[in-house]
Amino acid sequence: MQPSTAPPGRVVVAHPDRKAQRALQRLVGATLCPVDVVSDVDALIAAIGDDETAIAIVDASLAQARPDLQLRKARAWIAVPGEGLASADARAIDTLLVAGWRHVVAHPMPVLAEELLATVQKLLRGDVFGLEKYMAWGAEVRSYTLEDCRDRDDAVATVARDVVAVGLPDRVGSLVSVIADELIANALYAAPVDGTGARFRSADAREKPRALTGRDIVTLRWATDSRYLALEVRDRWGSLDPGSVGARLAPSAKQSSSEGGMGLPLAYACCNQLVVGSEANAMTEMIALLDVRYKPTELGRTASFHSFTLRTRSA
Amino acid sequence: MKRGRLDVEVSGQRVVLVGRIDDSVTLGELAAQLPAGALVLDTAGVTFVNSIGMREWIRLTRALAARGAPVTLERVADVMMTQMNLIPELRKTVQIASFHAQYACPSCGAEATPLIDAVAHRAELRSLLPPLVPCDECASLMALADFPERYLMIFSD
Repeated sequence: MQPSTAPPGRVVVAHPDRKAQRALQRLVGATLCPVDVVSDVDALIAAIGDDETAIAIVDASLAQARPDLQLRKARAWIAVPGEGLASADARAIDTLLVAGWRHVVAHPMPVLAEELLATVQKLLRGDVFGLEKYMAWGAEVRSYTLEDCRDRDDAVATVARDVVAVGLPDRVGSLVSVIADELIANALYAAPVDGTGARFRSADAREKPRALTGRDIVTLRWATDSRYLALEVRDRWGSLDPGSVGARLAPSAKQSSSEGGMGLPLAYACCNQLVVGSEANAMTEMIALLDVRYKPTELGRTASFHSFTLRTRSA
Repeated sequence: MKRGRLDVEVSGQRVVLVGRIDDSVTLGELAAQLPAGALVLDTAGVTFVNSIGMREWIRLTRALAARGAPVTLERVADVMMTQMNLIPELRKTVQIASFHAQYACPSCGAEATPLIDAVAHRAELRSLLPPLVPCDECASLMALADFPERYLMIFSD
């Protein structure tokens, strides 16, 4: 009898609290990946060594004290809140985003479990795209392909109307319309780059018609499973620098950018989890997740952030 | 007058905005077309604001603030409150007299955006304490459906 195989990889959990260690070990153990558990940063560094396939899961307080950790070799560095029902501290998240952390989980259990397992599996499998990874089986996915730039308003209005039609509150419909508008605008006007990397559509008049074919195709998908509402926007340029997105989203970054570049920070502020997937020169995917189970005040004040890069075909 | 998809109605010192504040709107030069002196801006009819719209809103409030006369916002739409709290400079350039806030009822699950009198509740709001509001459906006390540190930040010192 031969057992099935799990994706190769190794996970190291660093948390000072023994109960949290056990919870996290069980959680990522669901990937059937070997899991090592340590209590402090020094032991974590020793356990990771030079293993570029290892995934480090670090208590946010430990990470906040050593934000430079994520510069060390590893497949990924993921900051998580501590044990219990407390969200990650908003200042810790800010510090980590500014420092360039690509995976910061804000919310406590049980959201932590769903989010962390999906994140670790995406990393292990190298399968980074698609909102389906956040939805329970059975959730229907609605998809729209924009045929012209001017379809943006229709797409936004349609998705907001559809979301309310399934019974979600107007508040969620309002958030969805802002997020969809900003993500589609980014895909239409910020994503296209020329050979020098210049964003040649950024100054286009927004009322100007432009047929969306080839690399200009923009798709919008959404689904809900009554836990989350997921909204996904894809462009075919892959021009977003996935390593620098987090720093632009940090609340402290907003303090100095009240005049411009507010689209992504606004989308981030309106959701509970923002996920960026990128394949250089091929595709950028933005997924915004709204947790519709809980009152907003029962979740983290700041949203989680994840940035994945697919490296199979390019980059 | 019409600004993109935003209707601007001026009646004495009162300016009523209805519609969308988005890419179609330029508001920076609107200040020059509004009456001199203290102004009241009513935005209850604003249904949508995106990041470019918020940039235009900042330009308008800056231009009005530069005239030196007070600018009071009345019946601020919920969609605007969410975003105005992201912009620290708005705490200094405008005074909010009333606003629509997101509330949820812990008893029956209803959600609503009641109008909050920011003048009557000034002390509570400065302390980031949301006023108590009864639910229209079951009369239980509703709770602010957002973090006070985030949704009421514009009232803090």
